[in-house]
Amino acid sequence: MARLTRQMRQGGGPFAPSVSKPSAFQQYKTLLAKDLRQEFRTREMLTSMGIYALLVIIVYGAALALTANGLDIMRMGGGLLWVLIVFTSLLGLGRSFAHEKEQGCMEGIMLVPLDRSVIFLAKATANILFLLAVEIIAVPLFYFFFMSGEPVAPTFPAIVAPLLLGTVGMAGIGTMLSTITMNTRAKDVMLAVLFIPLIYPLLYACVTATTVAITGTEFWIDFFVMPLVLACGYDVVMLLVCWVLYDFVVSA
Amino acid sequence: MSKGKARVPEAGQWPDRLAIPALAAGTVLTSAAFLLAFLYAAPVNGAALDAPELVGGVMVTHQQLISQKIFYFHMPVAIVSFAALAFAAYYGIRYLSTREARFDTCSRVAMEISLLFVVFTMVTGDLWTRFEWGVWWTWEPRLTTYLILMLIVIAYFVMRNAVDDPERRAVFASVISIIALVDVPICFMITRLIPSSVHPVITREGGMAPDMALTVVVALVGMMLVAFGLYRLRFREARLEERVQALKEQLDG
Amino acid sequence: MNAVEAHNLTKAFGTRKALDGVSFELPEGTFLSIFGPNGAGKTTLLRVLSTLARPTAGSASICGIDLKEDSDEARGLIGMISHASMLYPDLTAEENLVLFGKLYGVADPQARASELLEAVGLSHRRLDQVRTFSRGMTQRVSIARALVHDPRVVFLDEPYSGLDPHAVDIFDELIASVRGDRTFIMVSHDLAKGFSMCTHTLMLARGRVVAFAPKEKLDYDEFAALYRSTVGMGVA
Repeated sequence: MARLTRQMRQGGGPFAPSVSKPSAFQQYKTLLAKDLRQEFRTREMLTSMGIYALLVIIVYGAALALTANGLDIMRMGGGLLWVLIVFTSLLGLGRSFAHEKEQGCMEGIMLVPLDRSVIFLAKATANILFLLAVEIIAVPLFYFFFMSGEPVAPTFPAIVAPLLLGTVGMAGIGTMLSTITMNTRAKDVMLAVLFIPLIYPLLYACVTATTVAITGTEFWIDFFVMPLVLACGYDVVMLLVCWVLYDFVVSA
Repeated sequence: MSKGKARVPEAGQWPDRLAIPALAAGTVLTSAAFLLAFLYAAPVNGAALDAPELVGGVMVTHQQLISQKIFYFHMPVAIVSFAALAFAAYYGIRYLSTREARFDTCSRVAMEISLLFVVFTMVTGDLWTRFEWGVWWTWEPRLTTYLILMLIVIAYFVMRNAVDDPERRAVFASVISIIALVDVPICFMITRLIPSSVHPVITREGGMAPDMALTVVVALVGMMLVAFGLYRLRFREARLEERVQALKEQLDG
Repeated sequence: MNAVEAHNLTKAFGTRKALDGVSFELPEGTFLSIFGPNGAGKTTLLRVLSTLARPTAGSASICGIDLKEDSDEARGLIGMISHASMLYPDLTAEENLVLFGKLYGVADPQARASELLEAVGLSHRRLDQVRTFSRGMTQRVSIARALVHDPRVVFLDEPYSGLDPHAVDIFDELIASVRGDRTFIMVSHDLAKGFSMCTHTLMLARGRVVAFAPKEKLDYDEFAALYRSTVGMGVA
């Protein structure tokens, strides 16, 4: 009935536009485009995350100064790479709602007739894209600084799979948690305190798969395929849970 | 209180009358399990000895693992802590569906009980690790899972403290308790199924002998009762505190 | 049809009640000012009526549409102007309006944005980032943002905070010019201002309605006295 009255008002002067509710996918695209446009304009997240990643690599340089034997680093490489990714993502995820909170924009979005899970999916997608963008810079840098001296296993390109699965899971649950922590005191610490234990299983699986891809080993199924299947399971379950619970969190 | 709200848990309802007896019975059963563990359950054989030896009037051919006795307490506390977490998540779901502040209190108290038992689990687990494997810490799947569980439960309370608005706090806490309940089994599965190259997964599989099973069951029932008793007492305390607070506000207003 | 109907609205957590049985009916095309001391539940009432918060008990409807049952439909009828601008500072004025226009599903968001910017007198700044705007200009874009989907009911939550007197005058003029047959509901601390703008008043204290009346039945001095005594009540 309300839709009918809206159509009747159509074209009735400068303050009567025709309004029809867009599809969820269209709203998703609009929100995602907004996040990307904002980032292109300020480059806030990408520069801060990129610089942070570089700084972590420099710290590694000092930390590994004495043990920088090529073979050791190859075996630790997967783990070190993930430390880099986890801390860099923490930085990015903590910032991901800063703009929404700053001028009360989140409330503006909440006032729109729009499914709350669309907000989650759009934000999670934006976070995935930002994290991937940083990884595209950080992984080659890591390779350049620590691994270029040694011949790598032919399986090296396979690290893309755990990187992708890990990024999706971390961005998903990270979006959920940063929605919570943007309303708490000591936001950044809170995010880390919640985020790291909750992603531990995913991290464990991804580190195993990445390490195996870097070093190359004969137990391919056990050490590479199995972790990936489990990481995939984690992603699916956790994204579903977050997707279902997001409405409560964002409306609170 | 109106009739429609009769199903909301409140201090002074019938379970409170069971709290003290449950606590007493739980203590007795746990103590009984302690005795059973040492006097009734047969010692578990460790490494084979070079020659049979006479220990306490019994001929033994293997090292007797006294440290294994920890198992009779370690496993029940671990199960109870997970059960408490499940209750916290259950009340979390109840809170989200009814928005009744009481369920948030229930969830929080269940989480406190979970924290208590998780700490016990960590202590017993660590003792076992020390005596059986000779190291203070090993990234063994169960220990890792419980470490993660402990961190999540701690994070839950840190988060609660960092939110001022009570309603928002309740929603966030409920959501975290549900995510924790989902995350913990996944964590166990992942650390268990992925073979660790550093430390081989040391697990003695195979069914429990009847004497072992009996001891574990007695300890488990005992600790469940203790947990229930503690939960009710703590819940009662929390509720009375809330009521005093409400009265104070009424007087102030 | 009434623009806003509230029946026994209650918002509580445990025993703490932010709203305690608020009921009123507001005809269409009116301007309601909500007064009350701090913590009286004004903002909570506004949040409940604008679907941002869920009532514990009771019901409310906007233009006959129940907020609980059909919240999306109701959201389409609501606009909000708040003390926070709800604009993305890094986007331009036009981009902000187009963004919200698209989210609401306005047929031609681009044209709508130009039209609204024209109406609030900021066409010349449409390609500038909102970050570079003064507080008064931001608030004007904020008005345009709230009207992008042609809402029937517009909520104003402390819209004057941070505005200098000149900006307040422009703001009032703009509100009057965009008013049309819309219903406005305003929460403000400024008694004189709120009283002069409104057609109806609602006084809240401790989550309850103290007074609800059309302005013509009220005398300003008496009302001011009531307001002062209510504020006194709220001081705990």
